[in-house]
Amino acid sequence: MEALLEAKLEKLLEQVQKPARYAGGEMNTSVKPFDEAELTFAFCFPDTYDIGMSHLGIKILYHIINKQPWGLCERVFTPWPDMGDAMRREGIPLFSLESRTPVRDFDLVGFTLQYEMSYTNILEMLDLARIPLYARDRGEKDPLVVAGGPCAYNPEPLANFVDAYMIGDGEDVMVELCAAVREGKRQGKSRLAILEDLAAIRGVYVPAFYDVCYNADGTVKSCTPNRPGVPAKVQRCVVTDLNGAEYPESFPVPYTDIVFDRIVLEIMRGCTRGCRFCQAGMIYRPVRERSLDRLLALADSLEKTTGYEEISLSSLSSGDYPCLAELIRALMDRYQQKRVSISLPSMRIDNIVKQSLEETQKVKKSGLTLAPEAGTQRLRDVINKGVTEEDLIRAVTDAFESGWSTVKLYFMSGLPTETDEDLQGIADLCKKTVAAYFSVPKDRRARGLKVTASVSVFVPKPFTPFQWVGQDTLEVIRGKQERMREYMRLKGVTYNWHESTLSFLEACISRGDRRIGDVIYTAWKDGCRFDGWNEHFRYETWLAAFEKCGLDPAFYAYRVRPLEEVLPWDVIDAGVTKEFLIREYEKALKGTTTKDCRKGCNACGLQRWKGACPAYENARGV
Amino acid sequence: MKMLAVFEKGPRLRLIGHLDLMRAMQRALRRSDLPIRYSQGFNPHILLTFAAPLNLGAVGEREIMEVPVEGTVDPAFFLDRLNAALPPDLKILACRAVEDTHKSPMALLRAARYSAQPEGGADDVAPFIGPFLAQKTVPAVKKTKSGEKEVDIRPMIHELSCRDGRIFATLDLREESTCKMELLLDRLYAFAGLETPHFLVRRLMLLGEDGNAFVPLEDV
Ligand code: SF4
Repeated sequence: MEALLEAKLEKLLEQVQKPARYAGGEMNTSVKPFDEAELTFAFCFPDTYDIGMSHLGIKILYHIINKQPWGLCERVFTPWPDMGDAMRREGIPLFSLESRTPVRDFDLVGFTLQYEMSYTNILEMLDLARIPLYARDRGEKDPLVVAGGPCAYNPEPLANFVDAYMIGDGEDVMVELCAAVREGKRQGKSRLAILEDLAAIRGVYVPAFYDVCYNADGTVKSCTPNRPGVPAKVQRCVVTDLNGAEYPESFPVPYTDIVFDRIVLEIMRGCTRGCRFCQAGMIYRPVRERSLDRLLALADSLEKTTGYEEISLSSLSSGDYPCLAELIRALMDRYQQKRVSISLPSMRIDNIVKQSLEETQKVKKSGLTLAPEAGTQRLRDVINKGVTEEDLIRAVTDAFESGWSTVKLYFMSGLPTETDEDLQGIADLCKKTVAAYFSVPKDRRARGLKVTASVSVFVPKPFTPFQWVGQDTLEVIRGKQERMREYMRLKGVTYNWHESTLSFLEACISRGDRRIGDVIYTAWKDGCRFDGWNEHFRYETWLAAFEKCGLDPAFYAYRVRPLEEVLPWDVIDAGVTKEFLIREYEKALKGTTTKDCRKGCNACGLQRWKGACPAYENARGV
Repeated sequence: MKMLAVFEKGPRLRLIGHLDLMRAMQRALRRSDLPIRYSQGFNPHILLTFAAPLNLGAVGEREIMEVPVEGTVDPAFFLDRLNAALPPDLKILACRAVEDTHKSPMALLRAARYSAQPEGGADDVAPFIGPFLAQKTVPAVKKTKSGEKEVDIRPMIHELSCRDGRIFATLDLREESTCKMELLLDRLYAFAGLETPHFLVRRLMLLGEDGNAFVPLEDV
């Protein structure tokens, strides 16, 4: 940044909230000289520093790009509105934290798409960076805007703003993509020629190379390549060997408080339990594990390089990790002396081993979090949540007996086929949890019971068996929420529910098509940003944006799609096939469960790709 | 044994608060693997004290902290090890070992020397420094925890000068009597009838006392 702007920036930082968010210079961040790098990548997280720095994906990819001798990666987060406004006023362009280089001077500007309600922040960041928002308006001098992350599996809502998507596990494709851009740069290739190179890489989707046609009723008719050499369907990337995959040996250590300020060990990726509402469970298949040895080695170097006091184990279902107890014991043995605590954030209730519970709480007594998701066995069968009431009650009783007194229960409302009985079932489970606490003799249980039940609104997601269903209308949701409030007047239980209008918009965008991009643009233009933050969420502005664009949100959120309809995300091959999802959808409506595929392959689609699914290949003795 | 370490808090970190800096230093000490001491009790934490918190926005050129260690540690070794574990904008400049019975730097602290760089230079205010110092009293309003309080800061000013576009001052910094550089500048500019400009403050050095003279705190 020029000296004059930098002086302005320094002054401005004294006036904004939480200036430490914009300081940079943290331990273990990149100190590579910007001008010497052959390929520069601005990693943009479309939310605040505190949220973004808590995210594991950014740490992995930051490490991978900077590990390349020719590559440089720097971080950028969305400036909080006070800062964003001040930057516009003072003419300060969006800059990277490490070298304070304007984002538009990078070769690649990459966004991670973690939740739909961060999309207006992407436009906000592009605008602050003075990069043309629409991909078609960018010229040879502008950076290439790329994106990845779970929401990229439906690339269409942001298709007009993104030059190239990376779909699937990012470790390998990120390097391939950066290398291709570096090579293109070296050969002096045009933007278009570079994008053509990128489109040839597995997992890369270049929206401009596909034309979308619509039917008269507004549904998608087709999405087809408009030039040779572009795949009709883009296959997602799969990292098959998690042990061989790159993982950072050091994390940046923030100065300021962030949400998860600790070492995170990803012990496993993927989950094969097959919950039918869960997008992560579908798109991160198959299950891949990191070995005990690799994890202990990573823990060692991360502990040394960060000085963190806490290690948390991360995966979609940590309880399924085969040597969980062994891992916890080994970590505790190593780090008790150094006063490092171990935590397990997401545990499934059906295989919490009492023993590992006791071991974690020896180090740190955090609350127990369980997600039964639905209130009755019938509905849990519909969503294939393989958990019974007995499982749940046994788990909480074990926890109470081991000295825990804080339990958080997560549920969803609005799941397909839900009835009033299911809502009452939620209250019932809460009652039984409280009763389980009092069933433990007074002298053996910890004091201060705290049960929190959170009920969120179900949002149907692409690449799940429920991708065809309609979301409950706002009216229906509100009616249910009112009844829930009645049912949940329980002693010892705190009841939380979620903003339904936010879930409604999330439903519109998550299954949106390319035309939704204009709605996002209009909403941003009219002042929407940080939609995920209560104080900034402007529902009316969003509704007005739909209206201005001539689109009906109900069409996206409420409509039940026929199975034969072309879906906007059909251009992506996520691994799981449509046949599998249809099978699961039909079984759901019949209330039939599907077993975990570690007990036998369910032919979800991953078996089509050679070497992709270790469980499938091992079972076949390949 | 305790280590007295002189360190620099660089310009990039001037808006990092006291508690955040403390935590960063504790994590660096953990990374360094030096034989640091922990507090007793249920939630043990690393024993570490700073001589005086630095105002948000100021650069600290020679800040001082005290780190109790187990056994004996060579100060040069301590300095190298800790520097290797620190981010680029924090640096240990000097280090000295003292007995546990040595008074804490917080207790020995008397004053600090500062510089301030006003935006647009100090030429306008420079001629007023002499007359400003010639005043018998300089009333100022100090914000304290219990509200606002009128004080005379004149006796707290030990030196005030101007050189190369910068204003230098040595001001009281101890429990009973503290004058912040920002407060002094505010009074000086008001005296000169000038609007207080934007300025960058640096705390250049912390001072203790030897007889009647100020000496660098780390030498006391
Ligand atoms: S291919 Fe078979 S074993 Fe592998 S994830 Fe899919 S269903 Fe499970």
